[in-house]
Amino acid sequence: MILPSAIALGREFAGARFQIAPVRGLSVQDGLVIGSVLVLIACYLLPLGAVVALSFLVPVPGIGNYWSIFQNATVHAVVGKTLWISSLTVGLTLLLGYITAYALVQAGPVARKLMLAGVLLPLWISVLVRNYAWIALLSPGGIVNSILIRWGWLDQPVSLVRNSFGVVLGMVHYMLPYAILPIYAQMARIDSTLPHLARSLGASPRQAFIRVFLPLSRPGLAAAAFLTSIMSLGFYLTPAMLGGGKTVMVAEFISIQVTETLRWDIATTLSTLLLLVTGALVWRFSHLLELATAKPKT
Amino acid sequence: MSSSFLTIDSICKRYGLLRALEAVSLDVTQGEFLTLLGPSGSGKSTLLAILAGFAEPDQGIVRLNGRDITRLAPEARRFGVVPQGYGLFPHLTVYENIAFPLRVRRSRSASINGRVRQVMELLQIGSVKSRLPRELSGGQQQRVALARALSFEPDLLLLDEPMSALDALLRRDLQAELVRLHRQVGTTFVYVTHDQQEALALSDRIVVLNHGRIEQIGTPRSIYAQPATRFVANFLGKNNLLQATAAIGPLGRLHFHWNGHRIAAGVTAPFEGPCSLTIRPEAIVLTKVGHSSQGTKDRILGTVVNHTFHGASADVIVAVGHESLTVTLTAAASPPVPGDEVWLAFDAERLWCLPEADTISPAASATSPELAA
Amino acid sequence: MSASSPRSLHPTRLAESTGRAVVVFLVLPLVAIIPMSFSDTRYLSMPHDGLSTLHYWRLFSEPAWRDSLLQSVGVALPAACLALLIGLSFCLGAWQRQGNMVRLLQILMLGPLIVPGIIHAVAYHRALSFIGLFDSFAGTVLVHAIKGLPFVVLSVSASLSSVHPATLQLARSLGASPAQALWRTLLPQIRYGIAAGFIFAFVTSWDEIVVTLFITSRNVITLPKQIWQSLFLNLDPVVAALGSLALLATLLALLATSLSGSRLRSLPSPNTIA
Repeated sequence: MILPSAIALGREFAGARFQIAPVRGLSVQDGLVIGSVLVLIACYLLPLGAVVALSFLVPVPGIGNYWSIFQNATVHAVVGKTLWISSLTVGLTLLLGYITAYALVQAGPVARKLMLAGVLLPLWISVLVRNYAWIALLSPGGIVNSILIRWGWLDQPVSLVRNSFGVVLGMVHYMLPYAILPIYAQMARIDSTLPHLARSLGASPRQAFIRVFLPLSRPGLAAAAFLTSIMSLGFYLTPAMLGGGKTVMVAEFISIQVTETLRWDIATTLSTLLLLVTGALVWRFSHLLELATAKPKT
Repeated sequence: MSSSFLTIDSICKRYGLLRALEAVSLDVTQGEFLTLLGPSGSGKSTLLAILAGFAEPDQGIVRLNGRDITRLAPEARRFGVVPQGYGLFPHLTVYENIAFPLRVRRSRSASINGRVRQVMELLQIGSVKSRLPRELSGGQQQRVALARALSFEPDLLLLDEPMSALDALLRRDLQAELVRLHRQVGTTFVYVTHDQQEALALSDRIVVLNHGRIEQIGTPRSIYAQPATRFVANFLGKNNLLQATAAIGPLGRLHFHWNGHRIAAGVTAPFEGPCSLTIRPEAIVLTKVGHSSQGTKDRILGTVVNHTFHGASADVIVAVGHESLTVTLTAAASPPVPGDEVWLAFDAERLWCLPEADTISPAASATSPELAA
Repeated sequence: MSASSPRSLHPTRLAESTGRAVVVFLVLPLVAIIPMSFSDTRYLSMPHDGLSTLHYWRLFSEPAWRDSLLQSVGVALPAACLALLIGLSFCLGAWQRQGNMVRLLQILMLGPLIVPGIIHAVAYHRALSFIGLFDSFAGTVLVHAIKGLPFVVLSVSASLSSVHPATLQLARSLGASPAQALWRTLLPQIRYGIAAGFIFAFVTSWDEIVVTLFITSRNVITLPKQIWQSLFLNLDPVVAALGSLALLATLLALLATSLSGSRLRSLPSPNTIA
């Protein structure tokens, strides 16, 4: 679906240069675009397109795979679990991210720099290592459990990972920087005198926040929601590591179809649907991309 | 005059080492148009922020009708604010911006609608009511900011350089509009500006601020004609400041000695001795040598060194000895050209003098800032 | 106008302490691995009898870890170069072009960043098997290059946006050939964007695990894959040592960029593995 339209668009693009070339040297630029786009098509869009194509071709041509997916109880359970965990993690991430971004805006320059470093740091450390740390901290023999027992808050070790709690915790930890940064970028753009002005016009602090600050920060919140929603739907590693096989989400379910049950029909069909949902989100919210990739200003 | 409406009593405010306001005291009368005039850094915006409740003074009290409001929350003050750059809420339409103060006060929606319409009509912005602020011109934004600040019938309207972002032509229109608005609504206006022309054109009274202190309070005419300090004399309009000596003649009449000339004054003597003599450029009569003079005996001979045409008027620089004077002429048929010899005569009624000691008082620190520090 | 609010609001205080708690939560697992890495036992625990640098040595002496380190460098370097080649070509070609077409191509270039990793895994598992590059060095490099491409596009186009639009024409009018104009006027102005793109592409490959798990078997074992495999046996403190080293490197890099001014700070944040 994406592939043929991209080729068509690529052709249209290649043709467009003759009308807009103001300088003769532009043909070099055309070559660069066409070359790089061809590589992208061959090395990226083609393999993705093959997944989509397979979902309609294997084992028999047609849309039979989609019918059976919609009637498959296991898939229902997995999708339900995915949606539930995703909305929970996105909601938690946005709430905590918004508050943290607000604290960043309010903080003094030194505190803000330190906090921003703390927000950026996890982005650079492999999620494998982070999940490893969570397991070490939260497993029954881990540090958190021994502290809780020593303080007398627990009688017996409790497993805080290899269940939904661990998955939610790991996902929220992973996604928080991606929520904080765009929200903070938007909040930093708000004219800081406006909330004060609202109060001089009669608004209480709470009204000034709800009627002025919140709506003005909404684009950042939307960008964060967009980014974290896309991430949480396709999360693979964290549920696989911290879920301990009990909390199976769509991505892990797909991987099982590829590596264990070898059900390519289910794998490709679910992948296509996931691609479709992601594509739809991007299409609908592409205007938020710029803010979603905004950099923090210190 | 009735007792004070708004009283500002010995306000001090510091930002680190910077003294933004030092012992500023001021009474504002109900219904007046009061302008806080001063260069940037004079403390006028700080004073406005304290009045609005955006900042608290380190010392001093602000009273409204006798009640201490120094630490009162901004929303409890009922003061309208038109900030620099207008501060319109970018996510709300013109209508919603104006309705904002009414909505947060939980007025009934019918009364909101009526009131917003009324204010929009007053400011002639009904045609743009559903636009967003970024879709408006600068002049329209300014009107919306005014409408919003007036919509809840505030006790006081605070305006912080509301014209600074507009071009000169639009500014003149809006000045006239603002005077009309003030007369129409009757609200007390406190207006902050660094533009002395604007202050003279709009105000009932002007407060001249410099380095966090009040230099002078008075009507535009009195401040223009009788500046209290050298700073005020230089800051408002063009002026000639001459180093002279005041002396009282046998009949009690005051005269000045300047540059070897004797100049009679129409005022009675406040003091004798060295002083700064001020004379406005338009209070000097200039006649070409050789023409029939107007028979003043205190006339001074000078040489024209420069001539600048401004349209309705022209400025002529005249050298007298080692000093030079600026003279403003209106509608001269044959204007003097550089090199011409001219007679100068001063309008005795419009002479003014400042004690020489003024130069070392902190008030004159505009000329010597290091003395004030 | 000096508009600092004099009134400290209680909800603001609450937000500030919550924000600080969130930052502590964010760095907690990173800090926790440091003591673990100095463990003197073979299994994961806090140090018992004393500190030991044993696991740092194991990282470079045990064949499995040493080989995976070398393999990761061997994959990440060519992958980053390839990503830079493709991404830079696209950005230079698309520079100053307007319209929906360019916008769409830009979004497509960012695809590898947006599309969930598991879909890439399925797609490349299939495609590389089809062309016989499954579990091969070349196949891994290619896939990693594609995954790093969005970062090159993001940082190069960000730095291109601050270049004067008439740079090339100006250079041409001063007598430069098209190639000279590119090489001597444009590229020097975007060198920080190029460097950043390269670094991000390298880090992306260095960290990549989801797709790698599906396109490799016994031949290609990158460092993340070695970590992944070790986690099935036990919680090996070597991983903590590795993480501590990565943390140290990141802190040094953050310090260096904050000291060297704003040039390198204007970069997009990297997206590691989901």
